[in-house]
Amino acid sequence: MMAATASTYIAGVRLRSIAGIWYRHFLVLRRNLLTSISWYFVEPFVILVAIGIGVGTLVNDVQGVPYARFITPGVIVGSAMFHAVFECAWGGFMRIQKGVYETTLTAPVSTREVAMGDIFWSMTRTIVTAVCIGTVAAAFGWIDNLSGVGVLLPAALVGVQFGALGLIFAALSPNVHILSLTFTVVASPLYFLSGAFFPISSMPDWVEPLAWAAPLTPSVHLARGFVTGDLAMSHLFAGLYVVAWIAVLFPIAATLLHRRLVK
Amino acid sequence: MKTKSDDSVIRATDLTKRFGEIVAVDGVSFQVKKGETYGLLGPNGAGKTTTMRMISGLSPLTAGKLTVAGIDVTSQAREVRNVLGVVTQEDGLDTDLDAKSNLIVYGYTAGLSRADAEKRADAVLMFFDLTDKAHEEIDYLSGGMKRRLAIARAFMTSPRVIVLDEPTTGLDPQGRNRVWQELETMKQGGVTILMSTHYMDEAAALCDRLAIMHHGRILAEGTPDELVNRHAGSEVAQVRVSNGVRRDVVDWIGDAGFDYRDAGAVITVTSRNGARPDLSGLAGVRVSYRPSNLEDVFLTMAGRGLTDDE
Repeated sequence: MMAATASTYIAGVRLRSIAGIWYRHFLVLRRNLLTSISWYFVEPFVILVAIGIGVGTLVNDVQGVPYARFITPGVIVGSAMFHAVFECAWGGFMRIQKGVYETTLTAPVSTREVAMGDIFWSMTRTIVTAVCIGTVAAAFGWIDNLSGVGVLLPAALVGVQFGALGLIFAALSPNVHILSLTFTVVASPLYFLSGAFFPISSMPDWVEPLAWAAPLTPSVHLARGFVTGDLAMSHLFAGLYVVAWIAVLFPIAATLLHRRLVK
Repeated sequence: MKTKSDDSVIRATDLTKRFGEIVAVDGVSFQVKKGETYGLLGPNGAGKTTTMRMISGLSPLTAGKLTVAGIDVTSQAREVRNVLGVVTQEDGLDTDLDAKSNLIVYGYTAGLSRADAEKRADAVLMFFDLTDKAHEEIDYLSGGMKRRLAIARAFMTSPRVIVLDEPTTGLDPQGRNRVWQELETMKQGGVTILMSTHYMDEAAALCDRLAIMHHGRILAEGTPDELVNRHAGSEVAQVRVSNGVRRDVVDWIGDAGFDYRDAGAVITVTSRNGARPDLSGLAGVRVSYRPSNLEDVFLTMAGRGLTDDE
């Protein structure tokens, strides 16, 4: 990415724009490395260990595996979602408000490239957090086969999908109060609807189809497939379903951001 | 004052911008010549910022034609930003990064290599006398430093043309002075500057030529001296009246064909074309004279403009 020269274009997209935005986020992360560790590492670690072991002592095996092991894929993908939403909804909103995007646009950058740059960083963030939690889970033996590395794929997909969704909320929200609904009304319910903490089959009948259609669920399913090493056609469909979400959400995000920034 | 068409860096023809029913910029035309400092002078809401944003390729034109360095802004908004340095009205500094990183990130995004961006950032910080603030948090910089850093950022790519929206609004006198000095140095270096301001003294001090904007239109254009001479004469008369005779005095001035503004205790009377208003026929009032300035031009013209609209 860093090598993207000033004039490399692919399909009308100026690569340097995306590299520049990615680099900005990278510098921010490097500058706040210690506090970032809590985000990437401590928080998901606490969830995984506290709920996995704590609740795990109260419940029997789920779908034939210990509870901590059952929730590992969902915690990885769920954390990825929160990272993406935080970066693009909250961070994006702040960058709109503080004129950071506007400054970026005074360079030869398009709004579409701004959206791509932020989403690309969102994906980077979700991969990093998946590596962090995955390593902890592997140390506890909750991920114990090589196909487990595959969880990086649903994590990355969630980074793009929820990055785009986050930008949509950032572009639409008139103020932080409305913006906060992204977390309370969207992200948190989706987390619990995703099958991360209990099997979807244990939900009420009428909720089940809703849960499967919900945008985070297929990624949890896919991650679980990689962690157990038990991959089937349903996992391929799950992946394609997320790609379809991305195909719909990204153009909307880019358009709304353009409308918000270029008047 | 003769212009060859090819030394115009910015050419705006019938530039128009509507937001729904509101006409923010109403068919303005002007040209900025290579190396000159051109000012858009007017109150808030005159259409200055919208004009600057259109020129920067940040706001699409509703109608009109606009080229910057020969590049058509409508069809090539991105290319325009390759040749322009833009300083928006808000500083737009990234508070998640320190001062120098703000410059580096902008330079890299704009097309410099990372090594060049780093080198250029050092040079630009030195030029703007911000070297010791390189690693400072943005929030700890003074208003004047933030403004200078925002201008410095636009200079990362060594643009030949810079667009500055209200360079000193909100700064204390010291901060303003610093920015003025730096703009003067850039100007000496041959940079073409288009700036907007609502400070008359700033326009007079910095601009080679000015357009006075009001309600989305250009009311007058020229050098500061020309404008003052043409529209406010050499001197303005300030007439102090008591309330008893105010009506008669105002009528007399109006009948004599002078422009005037009635601001309570003092009525300011302007003449035109280098003249000084002759109020010798007016008895029973105290008249004093002072040199005319841009503020007189603006207030006189805005007053006339408003009357035309009514």
